[in-house]
Amino acid sequence: MPNTLTAPGYTQEAFDSFLSSRDEPGWLSDLRRAAWTRFSELGMPGRNDEEWSRTDIRLFKLDRFGLPSGASTGGEMPRALLAKGVQLGGSTATLDGAGTVDARLAEKWASKGVLFGDLPTLVVEHADLLRPFLERRLVNPGKDKFSALNAAAWAGGALLYVPRRVTIDEPLHSLSAMSDGGVDLNKTLVILEEGAEATLLSETASLTPRGGGFHAGSIELIVEPGARLRYVNLQNWGDQVWHFAHQMAHVAARGHLQWTIGALGSRLAKVNQHVALTGQDAEAQVNGVMFTQGRQHLSYNTHQHHKAPHCRSDLMYKAALQGESRTVWRGMIKVDRAAQRTDAYQRNDNLMLSRTARADSIPGLEIEADDVRCTHGSTSGRVDDQQIFYAMTRGYTRQEAVRMIVEGFFQKVFDRIPIESVSEALGEAIGQRVRAISD
Amino acid sequence: MPEFVSVARVSDVSDPGSMLVEVSDRLIVLIHASGHWYALDDVCTHDGGPLSDGPVDPEGGTIACPRHGAKFNIKTGAAETMPATKPTVAHEVKLEGDRVLVRLHDGS
Repeated sequence: MPNTLTAPGYTQEAFDSFLSSRDEPGWLSDLRRAAWTRFSELGMPGRNDEEWSRTDIRLFKLDRFGLPSGASTGGEMPRALLAKGVQLGGSTATLDGAGTVDARLAEKWASKGVLFGDLPTLVVEHADLLRPFLERRLVNPGKDKFSALNAAAWAGGALLYVPRRVTIDEPLHSLSAMSDGGVDLNKTLVILEEGAEATLLSETASLTPRGGGFHAGSIELIVEPGARLRYVNLQNWGDQVWHFAHQMAHVAARGHLQWTIGALGSRLAKVNQHVALTGQDAEAQVNGVMFTQGRQHLSYNTHQHHKAPHCRSDLMYKAALQGESRTVWRGMIKVDRAAQRTDAYQRNDNLMLSRTARADSIPGLEIEADDVRCTHGSTSGRVDDQQIFYAMTRGYTRQEAVRMIVEGFFQKVFDRIPIESVSEALGEAIGQRVRAISD
Repeated sequence: MPEFVSVARVSDVSDPGSMLVEVSDRLIVLIHASGHWYALDDVCTHDGGPLSDGPVDPEGGTIACPRHGAKFNIKTGAAETMPATKPTVAHEVKLEGDRVLVRLHDGS
């Protein structure tokens, strides 16, 4: 079973060694080298940058980590929450991005030309097919130091490629795990060609719940005309992990994307989630569930970019916060001049379970077209004491009452997820974390 | 209760002045004002900005957030001016010879 040993530091020598250890096509190495140059030029994000002003990463020490080397020490993989009780069409798992622990795809899907498994392996085996998609670089490598690092040194991750008009009616599952103190530079690439359909359940987890480490990841979802993708991404790292991610979806004409995020783990998370609707009549539904505790800090920047007319986007993020934790949600609906008849919505609700938790909610609109419907909403509040009192008079403990109220708070998001195992896994994981309300 | 941790030498911080230090994976602004030493969480409770970049006023007994000007009492951490309304956490400080030691307040 593979595991990653890393030499601390991100030096040119380390990168050259990393690159030479990989048997990849020249064009891919060139992409990596260009991104590495950008990585070397960029400084760490500063708090004068508006996007980072509410997220303090001064305690994050990049030079304590290094590049994945692919060496192996072993370790028992964590239990996959989203796969419980699901008939899967395929699954893949990696540890520290060092290589595939396990990958399988049902023959009935493979025979239809579906590719699913370890991205580094498949990109070598199907270089000509995948090259145009990787060269599109949906995630801009120059966005910040973390996106540049991922573009330069991604290792591990999943690929799903579904050919034209192929419908996969069984969910696929990918798991990316990290050992304590490890480094995960995972990249997920999903391509649904015209008229294809698929569901991918993706999750990240540490080998130990208290584990630390560094994740700089990227997700690229390409939904071609008329395709339909359901994508679930559960972030369940150990509570000392630094999590930085850039996630980008492109939905073409008549395409449909349902994207659900569960954010439970990590010490600090800074995520950019961007959905671009690029063809007429495209649609995206984005769901977010966040539950924080202790001194966790989760920051999500969401972006719904309407580039074409008659598109619809609907975003709902819900967060419940315990202890001294903090969430930052900054949402933007951007409507280009050409995107007339846009219908866009964003909403963020926060349930405060302690007086020392804090939720920052910053919705935004940037509209250049003049015939659109774009609305947003945000609420933050505490649990109603009367509801708790009522539940306790019916025989529930205070903790049980709070758990019920929290479940009810998230139910609206769960109702939007048509995959029972996902709702149950999220509900169970959150339920285990709920404690009685603290003053 | 956490132990006192040595964080700086007396000569490291002018009077008045401040210095950013790390104590047990936490950012603390160490303040030297009118011969006394103080330690606060390096967090403005208004929007999370770093207090360690802000000016110390020894006469008023405050440190100001450089972003929006909120002032905090350097002894207690209390928010003394808008836009901050909640206190930042104050920690215990003592001197041993030329060393400055900080003990984190764990009831933040």
